[in-house]
Amino acid sequence: MRSALHPRTWVPTVVALLAAGTVWTLVARDNPYVLPRLSAVGAELAGDPGFYAANAATTLGEALLGLLVGAVAAFCLGVAVSESAVLRRAVMPLAVVLNVTPVVAVVPALIVAFGFGMTPKVVVTALIVFFPVLMNTTTGLRSVPRPVLQVFGTVAASRLDVLLRVRVPYALPYLFSALRVAFPLSLVGAVVAELLAAGATRGLGTVISVASSNSQLGTVWAAIACLALLGALLLLLVSTVERRVLGWHESQRPT
Amino acid sequence: MPEDGSQQRAGAPGPPDGGGLRVADACKTYGSGPGATTALSHVDLDVPRGRFVSVIGPSGCGKSTLLRLVAGLEQPDAGTVSVCGEPPVRAAERKMVGFVPQVPALLPWLDVLGNVRVLERVNRRAPRRAGRGGAPVDPVALLERLGLGGLLHRRPHELSGGQRQRAAIARAFALRPDVLLMDEPFSALDEFTREAVQLQLLDVWQEHRTTVLFVTHSVSEAVLLSDTVVVMARPGRVEAVLDVELSRPRHHDQLDSAAMHEMEHRVRVALGSAWTQDAAPDETRGATRSATRDVRGAPPAGAAR
Repeated sequence: MRSALHPRTWVPTVVALLAAGTVWTLVARDNPYVLPRLSAVGAELAGDPGFYAANAATTLGEALLGLLVGAVAAFCLGVAVSESAVLRRAVMPLAVVLNVTPVVAVVPALIVAFGFGMTPKVVVTALIVFFPVLMNTTTGLRSVPRPVLQVFGTVAASRLDVLLRVRVPYALPYLFSALRVAFPLSLVGAVVAELLAAGATRGLGTVISVASSNSQLGTVWAAIACLALLGALLLLLVSTVERRVLGWHESQRPT
Repeated sequence: MPEDGSQQRAGAPGPPDGGGLRVADACKTYGSGPGATTALSHVDLDVPRGRFVSVIGPSGCGKSTLLRLVAGLEQPDAGTVSVCGEPPVRAAERKMVGFVPQVPALLPWLDVLGNVRVLERVNRRAPRRAGRGGAPVDPVALLERLGLGGLLHRRPHELSGGQRQRAAIARAFALRPDVLLMDEPFSALDEFTREAVQLQLLDVWQEHRTTVLFVTHSVSEAVLLSDTVVVMARPGRVEAVLDVELSRPRHHDQLDSAAMHEMEHRVRVALGSAWTQDAAPDETRGATRSATRDVRGAPPAGAAR
């Protein structure tokens, strides 16, 4: 494998970034209401880092809590559903209906129900994260090759043993690929809920909605930059954990 | 101390038939109506304790079904199967059965040693080996015996096909099973690897003297490994049972001996006659089907010959 320091590794990325920056600057020069200058965004961030950090912490907190609630609930339900055909037939149609309903449409109702605090944001995030984790968990738990089940069958392994020693580990790669989608999605959930909660006071979504109604594009884009950074950090986090946990799996091997 | 071990096992309070496994008048049909397939049709098989028995026959002759019935993974429609006098499900509960499938079926996140030991950790309530004598098999010694001593902490993806299959064999022997069931375990290996692994299997078997039911497609493999070769034919019946009169321990030099060739010839003749009958018109199949249906409809007492 080539070192990350080798020019051939980093030059294309840097060139692309410079090109994007140049385009941005050209557009921003003549159209201040389309894009703010990058320097303005930078000055905004540097001018009040504490403000952005505090709001980012709020949004991240909502996203992570929603993620935790949604992913844990979906995983547990996935296990239950894969162990019981009756439960599967009862739950899966509901889960599919939930999935095809645009969650954004539910947000106003949730805000009416739960107010402007953290609760509706956590609920929205959990809902968004729920379905990918559920589907991948159930698929993963059923991905155990038949001969493996037969080997455990010939020693009369209990269902719990098969679940914990065979099915769950086989489901982990599926779970992680769901989480790689779900982690960035959790920010979507939190921000959408903040944007729609007109009376909220904190969070990057709130910052964006307040600043854009005052045409403060520098603030808007500074908040967006924070969200991009958060998303990247979440993805990095899940990928790092995945590499540690799934060292045995094909997907983690150098090709 | 192989002698000691077998003494103790033979002396264990066993069922009247003295261990081994017995299949009596077993029938198994998959599906129903015109699309039904007869997998086994009135199969009788008696394997005395400690014998190495191969089952050979064309694809779809029910050999694997037979194995799954003995493993307790499936139930016969009619007839009985017993492992050391116990029904297969009971035998499985007592961890008396070792199973080596066609693919190694190792858990990819465990190393070789972990894979061999993982079955220890499940079904711990299986009545421990009281009365079955002997210390538990040392998995490390077993793996060394099979030439995997230096690979104990490798993961399956770091092993060759032959090494993986040997690990699967070690996993089965580590259970100290009364009956070892092997479903074409070497069919995916190349010729050289296969011969090496066959010998290692024989070496370990020579020590443990487990009762083995070994399904294979290869005539020479069946003859080289077994005391008895059971030739099966479609649809799901036993065509011939041939004893292999070759001295033990076996080795590969015997592959070219006249006795070996003679034995292989006999197996091939039996297979050939199975094939000819198989090619016969469809009435045979229809007849078997209705016969199977009759047996399924009859009360169990009538079905037991």
